[in-house]
Amino acid sequence: MSRRKPNSSPLGHLLHVLGEYSNSPLAQHPWVRKLTDNVMYEGMKAAVSTGKQVSSRFSQVVKVLPGDLLKRPQTSSRPSAFDLSLTEEQEVTREMLQRFAGDVLRPHGREAETSDACISNVMGQMHDLGLTAITVPESLGGLAQEPVPMSATLIAEDLGFGDFSLAVAGLAPLSVATVLSLFGTAEQQGKYLPTLADEAYVPATVAWSEPRAQFCPHNLHTTAHRSGEHYILDGRKTLVPLAADAEVMLVFAQVAGVGPRVFVVEAGTPGVTITRQRTMGLQAAAPCAVTLSGVRVGADALVGNAETWSPTAFDELVARANIGVSALSVGTCRAILEYVIEYCNSRVAFGEPVSHRQAVAFLIADIAVELDGMRLLVYRAASRAQHGRAFVREAHLARVQCVEKAMQLASDGLQLLGGHGYVCEHPLERWYRQMRAVAMVEGVIV
Amino acid sequence: MKILVTVKRIPDPDESLKFAGGGLDTSSSKWVPNAFDEYAVETALRLAEVAGKRDRLAEVIVMSICPAKQRQHVTQFLAMGADRGVVVDADDSELDTIAVSKAIAAVAKSEGVDLTIVGKLSQDNEGNQVAQRVAGLLNVPQAGFAATVKWDKNAGTLDVGREVDDGVEHKLVPLPAVVSVDLRVVLPTSIKNGVTADSHKYQEGPRLASLRGITMAKRKKVKVLKLSDIGVSSAGSEQVVAVAPPPARPSGQIVGSVEELHEKLAKEAKVL
Repeated sequence: MSRRKPNSSPLGHLLHVLGEYSNSPLAQHPWVRKLTDNVMYEGMKAAVSTGKQVSSRFSQVVKVLPGDLLKRPQTSSRPSAFDLSLTEEQEVTREMLQRFAGDVLRPHGREAETSDACISNVMGQMHDLGLTAITVPESLGGLAQEPVPMSATLIAEDLGFGDFSLAVAGLAPLSVATVLSLFGTAEQQGKYLPTLADEAYVPATVAWSEPRAQFCPHNLHTTAHRSGEHYILDGRKTLVPLAADAEVMLVFAQVAGVGPRVFVVEAGTPGVTITRQRTMGLQAAAPCAVTLSGVRVGADALVGNAETWSPTAFDELVARANIGVSALSVGTCRAILEYVIEYCNSRVAFGEPVSHRQAVAFLIADIAVELDGMRLLVYRAASRAQHGRAFVREAHLARVQCVEKAMQLASDGLQLLGGHGYVCEHPLERWYRQMRAVAMVEGVIV
Repeated sequence: MKILVTVKRIPDPDESLKFAGGGLDTSSSKWVPNAFDEYAVETALRLAEVAGKRDRLAEVIVMSICPAKQRQHVTQFLAMGADRGVVVDADDSELDTIAVSKAIAAVAKSEGVDLTIVGKLSQDNEGNQVAQRVAGLLNVPQAGFAATVKWDKNAGTLDVGREVDDGVEHKLVPLPAVVSVDLRVVLPTSIKNGVTADSHKYQEGPRLASLRGITMAKRKKVKVLKLSDIGVSSAGSEQVVAVAPPPARPSGQIVGSVEELHEKLAKEAKVL
């Protein structure tokens, strides 16, 4: 019997090795069959990801004039009074998103942890809501006239109320659009934003976190070296949502002598290896490890230019990411609060609802107080960003508070359900797993 | 064709009721759209659109009678896809069923609508009178509690399916007409407009507004009228004597056997 020769390319070689292994008697042995299936799945997925064709979605470039770009808010636009009331548009949006969160995200949250088809279905439905368009300038097919961090924060909160992990994935394209709208050159905006804001769903994501101790979003180990008219990217990224399907990825990397910057890497670029990760609570975000090995991109892949990157610009980008994930955690903690109130009022023990016990009632009250504290810190930071005021410090405080309290509230919520909290019939154990990720998720940018 | 859909805001039915001064205290209520009006708007949109295309077969006008500054529900329905709005600026104290019906009839007449779609009732007072009264005032045919609607454009008629005790009754209604809708009208294949493929399946329930729809809603035209503009005098023909919560139910009893239950029903409850 003739044997096919292995392809001379690394990808072909990988596929050949996988094929040889899967056909071997060892791989078919019942004891190792499951392991074989996993090896095949992960290996094929990685191979398919790295072998993805270079995206042609972004071949058209819309000419952008200076007046088409988002207008930066003026500090004079700040409100004269402390006012947290929402606009009618924000109220209507919240009404809609809370319904979407309850009808679509919450019911699919558990299934999405084990089903990629389920994730794809939900991502399509989220895109149909027009999420990405809110941050894209009107002239490029979007809905924005100026940056909308407050509206995006409210959206993140409401989606987090439905399911934290699905929301992390669903907001990835919006985050890409936000970064390009805020910092991208006119050419980059004209190339990517019309497609991202279009009715057809285009997966896009942000690769920021790195798999190492003491990761700092300001100090990246992924590097970008200038080589003539190109940059060469090297490094490893982790917990990148939707990376396996993304048509475009924003890679955060350290540029020697400049600092941390962002690069646009389109699907199919040689040197990018994507491997699906198994995580504690982010499975529904389809998280991936991304390895960049000598990835050559054009000099025009560097997002923005000297004008768009002011000395504080990257700090503000980090702050926007702090607000984004914090808002998601506020939404999930609200879900926890509402769930435990209903449960403790209906769960009868010793002849009365358990909420009649002070130990239970006080703990629920504490959750409500802490949650409001989280929310107010997040809203303050987002509101300051909306009105063009300094917000880096406020966003950092919000993130610190949300990281700590989200874990605490999820743990308390689980405790309030007793043994029921530990079983999968109730969502508390899932929320507990997800709230551990608030400290680690980067790249939900509002 | 012009379709007028009436929409109402109601106190959130999920909130507990508050009573004060012999009536309901809605001063701190959260206001939400009446669910049956959402079904009515969804019905109108399915009749008016060609699924999957931008073509429209009819103009959809949403109308509400409410304080002009509290018309968030109208914005919500414009965001769902309605073309424009009419708000009759009036406080709840100025309204009763007759005043509301007259206002709707007046707007329907002045707009020259071919079809008025109404939710079968509002969830707050559950009156279930408006559709019938409007049809009477306009002197046009009516079909109440629609579960299915099929539009024959050439004949200018609607085939309205209604669920009745012994099955489904179909009414063939010539336009112009008034139709009130029931819950099942938002099932995936309940509405057929003769252009969208009959096999097309909508998502169950009223659609969610998209963010694009919400943004565009701000730019849609909303005409604001006063009751006096349309020749309607305020309420007066109905008088609410008192509104009170139902008496608290006595606690139940757990019985040990069927025999004991039988005895209690016979001797204590005296229902056997």
